[in-house]
Amino acid sequence: MNAAVRRRGAGSALSVLLGVLIALFGLIFIVGGADLAWLGGSWYYLICGVVLLASGALIVAGRVAGAWLFLLAWAATLLWTMWETSADTDWWGWLPRLFGPTLIAIAVLLVMPALRRRDTVRPLGAA
Amino acid sequence: MRKLHLLAATLLCGTLPATGLHAQVASHSENIPGTGNPTSDGTDKYDTATPQKFRAPAPGAPQAPGVNAANLPPIGEIDPATLPAMVPQLSANPAAGDWVAYGRDDSQNRYSPLTQITPENVGKLERAFIYHTGSKPAPGQTNKWAAETTPIKVGRKLFMCSATNDIMALDATNGQQLWRFDAGVKYASIPYTAACKGVVYYTSSTVPEGQHCHTRIVESTLDMRLISVDSEDGKPCEGFGFNGQVNLMQGMGESVPGFVSMTSPPPIVNGVVVINQEVLDGQRRWAPSGVIRGYDAETGKFAWAWDVNNPDDHHQPADGKFYSRGTPNSWATMTGDNELGLVYVPTGNSAADYYSALRTDKENAVSSSIVAIDVKTGSPRWVFQTVHKDVWDYDIGSQPTKLDYKGSNGETVPALLVPTKRGQTFVLDRRTGQPVADYPVEEKPAPSPGVVPGDPRAPTQPWSTAFPRLGFPDLKESDMWGMSPIDQLFCRIKYRRAAYVGEFTPPHIDRPWIEYPGYNGGSDWGSMAYDPTTGVVIANWNNTPMYDQLVTRKQADKLGLMPIDDPNFKPGGGGAEGAGAMADTPYGIVVTPFWDQFTNMMCNKPPYGMIEAIDIHTKKVLWQHPIGTARANGPWGLPTFLPIQIGTPNNGGPIITAGGLVFVAAATDNQIRAIDIKTGKVVWSDVLPGGGQATPMTYEVDGKQYLAIMAGGHHFMMTPVSDQLVVYKLPG
Repeated sequence: MNAAVRRRGAGSALSVLLGVLIALFGLIFIVGGADLAWLGGSWYYLICGVVLLASGALIVAGRVAGAWLFLLAWAATLLWTMWETSADTDWWGWLPRLFGPTLIAIAVLLVMPALRRRDTVRPLGAA
Repeated sequence: MRKLHLLAATLLCGTLPATGLHAQVASHSENIPGTGNPTSDGTDKYDTATPQKFRAPAPGAPQAPGVNAANLPPIGEIDPATLPAMVPQLSANPAAGDWVAYGRDDSQNRYSPLTQITPENVGKLERAFIYHTGSKPAPGQTNKWAAETTPIKVGRKLFMCSATNDIMALDATNGQQLWRFDAGVKYASIPYTAACKGVVYYTSSTVPEGQHCHTRIVESTLDMRLISVDSEDGKPCEGFGFNGQVNLMQGMGESVPGFVSMTSPPPIVNGVVVINQEVLDGQRRWAPSGVIRGYDAETGKFAWAWDVNNPDDHHQPADGKFYSRGTPNSWATMTGDNELGLVYVPTGNSAADYYSALRTDKENAVSSSIVAIDVKTGSPRWVFQTVHKDVWDYDIGSQPTKLDYKGSNGETVPALLVPTKRGQTFVLDRRTGQPVADYPVEEKPAPSPGVVPGDPRAPTQPWSTAFPRLGFPDLKESDMWGMSPIDQLFCRIKYRRAAYVGEFTPPHIDRPWIEYPGYNGGSDWGSMAYDPTTGVVIANWNNTPMYDQLVTRKQADKLGLMPIDDPNFKPGGGGAEGAGAMADTPYGIVVTPFWDQFTNMMCNKPPYGMIEAIDIHTKKVLWQHPIGTARANGPWGLPTFLPIQIGTPNNGGPIITAGGLVFVAAATDNQIRAIDIKTGKVVWSDVLPGGGQATPMTYEVDGKQYLAIMAGGHHFMMTPVSDQLVVYKLPG
């Protein structure tokens, strides 16, 4: 096994790990978000949680669509943040909403090549 | 611009800058019981036959050993009408270089006319000396320390007290100790906090100049003694009480050490030392009395008492009798008024802060108020109430400041500036207690009657609508915060699970309620500074909501909440600012910061502490900034070392100098800073050896201006404890 193959193997493993992490976040969002929505609060977490769970599952399955789904969720979160903190006079509201998700988005971008490779070796529907 | 800067700094730094959030931690906070808490069925009228795990000692029961700490004999009475006229005191008109009273002079405005240190040269400040008071927790002792001390300065000497009441005189130029009076306060006598905010300088009206105790240092102690020593040699004044001491627990009825204490300098008004006392919050409805008393500053003899529920009897209780129990206690620093013959008493709540059904009408009329008491008789002349039927611990912690207020109608009124924990600031006519015309007070509807059976809330509460509010708008779900979306989600759920309808949300039993502003303020004991030459008010304040819940007696017993005088009480098992038994009532109280208990970060977004300048004539905010950096604070209480002005919780007041500066420490970043009063910019700061939870002071000797701050730390604010007084001056 040469070095390039080992790297590819590591990239795949990392993408699986990342997918599991995103799915886990999705689950927490769904459970907590359902509670919050039930209490009359924001629906963001429940909806975002469903998207994250799907995204994580797709990434674990080696599908590039999972990465795109996460980036879509990130972009939607950015818009939601701008809307929800529009009355604020400072930027503190951006920290909880975007800091962690941005770190994950960067990780998603980094594993994108590995995902692409995995996606091409597995035909559609054969995951 | 600041907005962008903050965000950039936030995102660039790998560590997540949280804040002094953990500062609001009660050291043994219980978890909020939550929605599972059994609610009342509305029928549980409290009666003394209700089975309760612990029985209250009879109020007339003998005081526990150590309550009369120095075993002093009973003090006799003197007719206040026969007191000699008081000679003029230095605090009426201090020399420019002196700081004679807690708030510098009789007006208590924390303004010094010194000009040597300016915004231009303040950056060159260096340490002149450090003095160690020697008072800090011994190994094995729970840290209850928060010295909170502001020294006073007369001539060439500094006079101060240690956190445990030893009195010291220092050479103001080098910190050399000239004498020390050992007060002998025992650890058991420390109530919630070992603090001594200051001592009082008094010139005798009867002892001639040149004789012992012509000039005196007076203090009141944690173990309820009034002490008077000579300012030259620190030896007790023989003509005062018993060897210079008076036992202030006389007539207080049943008590244990640490239940009742004094942490504020007692004002001397027309020769009367006025005594208030802190009664430990949250213990029992029938706690020792909040009685206010006057003593002869010359002899220490008892002059009068103002006992809320017994207002016509101004004498000491006969043997076996005691001052009425559970009445509103006053622990803040009072302000005297020799011209009007009044003392302005900032009152707190009746005992059992969060349940009001057992309070008398007389108590309800004077709690969380300024009560102006005539020092010749002990009778109130007027009362101004800042919260009606307070069940939020919104007692007044700030010392009121006297000022001559020139109104827009051209008339100058002797006025009183009254900061509150609510962040409402009242400006009253000192002669009548009525709001001055420019600062009307409006009664606005408040949430009522609430949900606690038989304990309806007041239908309205007073608002000082013209004075800029020290506070932010009501909390929204989108104000919830945290390091990650998960923290934020957690806090949003907490927010939605609690009862919250804005300020004065009534206490709840079946679920928690959010108290905002929290009981730490607004403005707490640090009080405000006022520049009489420009009319500028400087105020630092807190933005720290609380998450509270009443618990049934059964649940309180299960949580182990018991009052301090219960034989089974464990020190540290529930304190003044955490959960409380509120024995003798149907409920206990659980109080926590409104925070994420897993990260110890507050649930609301920063800032948590602010400082601002207000022009009292134009009613405009001149500037407003967060106070305190994230350098010493972060998630799980870890320091982030980030110089971001996140705004931390703060305790301790500001001072103003004619040199154009505001000096303030207070924040949980353990720094003292100088702020340019014109711009609000921090122009100098220095890291202290302990938390700067004290009000600084400034003075001059031999043409050099000094700046002093007690870096004693604060156990509740979780800042490092130290015994160091740090003094600065310019080089050369």
